Amino acid sequence: MSVLDRPLRRLIASSIAIALSAGLFCTAAAAAELRIGTQLKLMTLDPHYADLNENNSLLAHIYERLVNQDASLNPQPGLAVSWTRISENSWAFKLREGVRFHDGAAFTAQDVIYSINRIQTFLKPPSGGFQNYTQNIKSVTAPDPLTVVIETTDAAPTLPLSLTSIFIMHEKKGGFATTEDLNSGSQPVGTGPYKFQSWQSGEGLKLTRNAQYWGGTPAWSDVSFRVIESPAARVAALSTGDLDIADYIPARDVAGLKGRGLTIDSTSAARSNFLQFDVGREQIPGVTDNAGNPIKNPFRDKRVREALRMATDRPFITEKILLGFGTAASQLFPAGLSGTSRKLAVERPNYEAAKALLSEAGFPNGFHVVLAGPAGRYPGDSESLQAVAQNWARIGVATQPVVAPFSVFATQRSSGAYPVWYGGCSGEAVTFCLKAVLASPDPDLGTGSINYGQYQNPAFDEMLAKATALEDGPAREAALAEATEFVMADDPIIPLYHFHLIVGHGQRVSSYAVHPRGWTTAMQALPSAK
Amino acid sequence: MLSIVTRRVSQALLLLLVMSLIGFVGIHSVGNPVFNVVNVETATVEDIRNATIALGLDQPLWRQYFLFMENVVTGDFGTSYVYHLPAFKLLLSKLPATLELAVIAMALAAPGGVLLGLWAGRHQGGAADRAILRGSVLALSIPSFWLSMMLILAGALLTGWFPSGGRGATLSVAGQEWSVLTGDGLRHVFLPALALALPNVALIARLARAGTIEVERQDFIRFCRAKGLSSRRILFRHTLPNISIPLVTIIGMQFGGMLAFAVVVETIFAWPGIGKLLIDSIQLLDRPVVMATLTFISVAFIALNAVVDLLYAVLDPRVRLST
Repeated sequence: MSVLDRPLRRLIASSIAIALSAGLFCTAAAAAELRIGTQLKLMTLDPHYADLNENNSLLAHIYERLVNQDASLNPQPGLAVSWTRISENSWAFKLREGVRFHDGAAFTAQDVIYSINRIQTFLKPPSGGFQNYTQNIKSVTAPDPLTVVIETTDAAPTLPLSLTSIFIMHEKKGGFATTEDLNSGSQPVGTGPYKFQSWQSGEGLKLTRNAQYWGGTPAWSDVSFRVIESPAARVAALSTGDLDIADYIPARDVAGLKGRGLTIDSTSAARSNFLQFDVGREQIPGVTDNAGNPIKNPFRDKRVREALRMATDRPFITEKILLGFGTAASQLFPAGLSGTSRKLAVERPNYEAAKALLSEAGFPNGFHVVLAGPAGRYPGDSESLQAVAQNWARIGVATQPVVAPFSVFATQRSSGAYPVWYGGCSGEAVTFCLKAVLASPDPDLGTGSINYGQYQNPAFDEMLAKATALEDGPAREAALAEATEFVMADDPIIPLYHFHLIVGHGQRVSSYAVHPRGWTTAMQALPSAK
Repeated sequence: MLSIVTRRVSQALLLLLVMSLIGFVGIHSVGNPVFNVVNVETATVEDIRNATIALGLDQPLWRQYFLFMENVVTGDFGTSYVYHLPAFKLLLSKLPATLELAVIAMALAAPGGVLLGLWAGRHQGGAADRAILRGSVLALSIPSFWLSMMLILAGALLTGWFPSGGRGATLSVAGQEWSVLTGDGLRHVFLPALALALPNVALIARLARAGTIEVERQDFIRFCRAKGLSSRRILFRHTLPNISIPLVTIIGMQFGGMLAFAVVVETIFAWPGIGKLLIDSIQLLDRPVVMATLTFISVAFIALNAVVDLLYAVLDPRVRLST
């Protein structure tokens, strides 16, 4: 996220347009080496240090999980071949036979125990994001070397899904490996399809093929990742053939890249960006009447939230700002993913009805409000705020968009400086976002962690608790969809869009499967036959 | 002599102290770095609080500052919040990239600028002089990001002669990775070095030209000419030493600038140097790295100033004799 991005992107777009007339130059590289340019900055080699896509995406080449997630986010066998729920509070995982770590040692149940224990007991803050996935694990035991039994403190119907986030490390005799050890000296040892060769924190990662990989010989002999945070520079490097794959391509560069014979793939990300209201407090900063006097928090009235939602032109954002590389949102995850509603739909704005509703709520002349958001963190973030401000102005709500760098925005938001703001949620499943964004904040249950607006809806909390207690299957999905429909009718947030993940690749790659979680890996790329 | 040294050293220490205070308070007032360390989209309130405490950010600012200064005195700048590596080590790992880029850029800029300036000054008013003057105005006024983009367009996109960014292959010498030692690395360094060098060529050329014009008017040059010395010998043996003091000053300062603030060029060419580290760390509010980098930059500038002062004495006998 460079300060230079915006002018740069424009310039590169125009420079590519000029360059269209020239031929495509490819520097010859070893036939089976894959060169990927990524926005995701690898920060550490400790797979349990921070639960950020930045780390998880690149480390997935070296380390593997017991359970993988397919493109619909459903659990698939990974290092575990099968799993069964043996009682209310325990699960048994059958481990894959014949798996070897990069140092030649066999993979056993002890490694699973070691990895889970390392997260639960060894790592201390500021590391810690992974503890959320292991917090209800009471004990991990190994009845035999290829079976793991996990007991939980309470019913955990979706434990396999939680384990899709946990990388398995090789057991280290005599104590746990520290983050410093992993970052500096010893080579990271996992079971994954590629072996670690070298890295430079924040710059790049080099990998070589693991010929002994249990899933067959990996497609690429070598993989090199280059961290290129500036989207313009990534696009340029892909255009010149310095890269085979570049991720997080800005939508405005797609046409130029296609013109140069590159292939673009995209998919709707398993996430959403939305506008969130402060509904917890009677008095909030940033809201005044038209004369500039403070007024009582208008967002506590459902009719005001509904009117603003009706006035928000989401199709405009996805069509004009995201140039079609976004899906207008009516819920937290894109429809079609597990646990989403098929009934909710995005309507075109209806300014007349919205204005009428606003009058009914006691604001015939509207009010003034500050709409806050981060700049350059998500595709289309600050531009969307501009568009929404104009939408709301049409029903008399004079909206002042305020954008700030993400860390400034986040600091201000958590100190309660904003009345309504642009937020985002992503996770391994929609249940995560339902709990974090819409459920009442409750530290004991771990719910409402990003419900900064203090939205509370006990009936929804109950429906959600019931739904998440069900085991994976159609009944759970239906209950989740029903809870979603119930809560969205109350307009706790205004879902804006699910942006698309756009990946471009050159001719040395025959196909690339974009994953909705936003990971960029060599395993998603197939080499072309030539 | 000794009093001059002590005065210089105490000035330097005061400067470092003020810099550290401004940097520390500045970065603190921007926001809370915890939001860049944990995943805000998944972390619980508890996670954020624990991380804040673990980083010591719950303490009052003055206590954080004294703790920081205490550690700095023992040579410890702290651990990067983002990379979990010692901040100073992280800085050192970026040093070779910056150093080689700055050295190559200056190796292009200094001789190039001096030669052009001498040439233009010698032939004041001629076609070459006018071309060099106009060219230097152009090179000084185009923004470096645009220049970099145009170099990528011309050198990489259109011709394919050079890569569009990155550092290329490196060779490990003395525990650090150097890309100037490989052919591929040299190809990668050329465009960013050129982007850094061009404005400096212009700056140095203008300075050298003005100096040359001034010196060439003086009596001793006329005397040299009367003695029948060749104009090349006059230019290099007599004019150049006499204009070298301002040139050395500007080369020293610009070299410091290249080490520290080549942010734009480093960002566009994805060159993993110190300027890019500084701007990235400021954006991620990675205070230990920002402080380590700022300290390094200050020390580098102070050292360069000292070297420039020493060079004065070498170049000018009057300075030598007066002290």
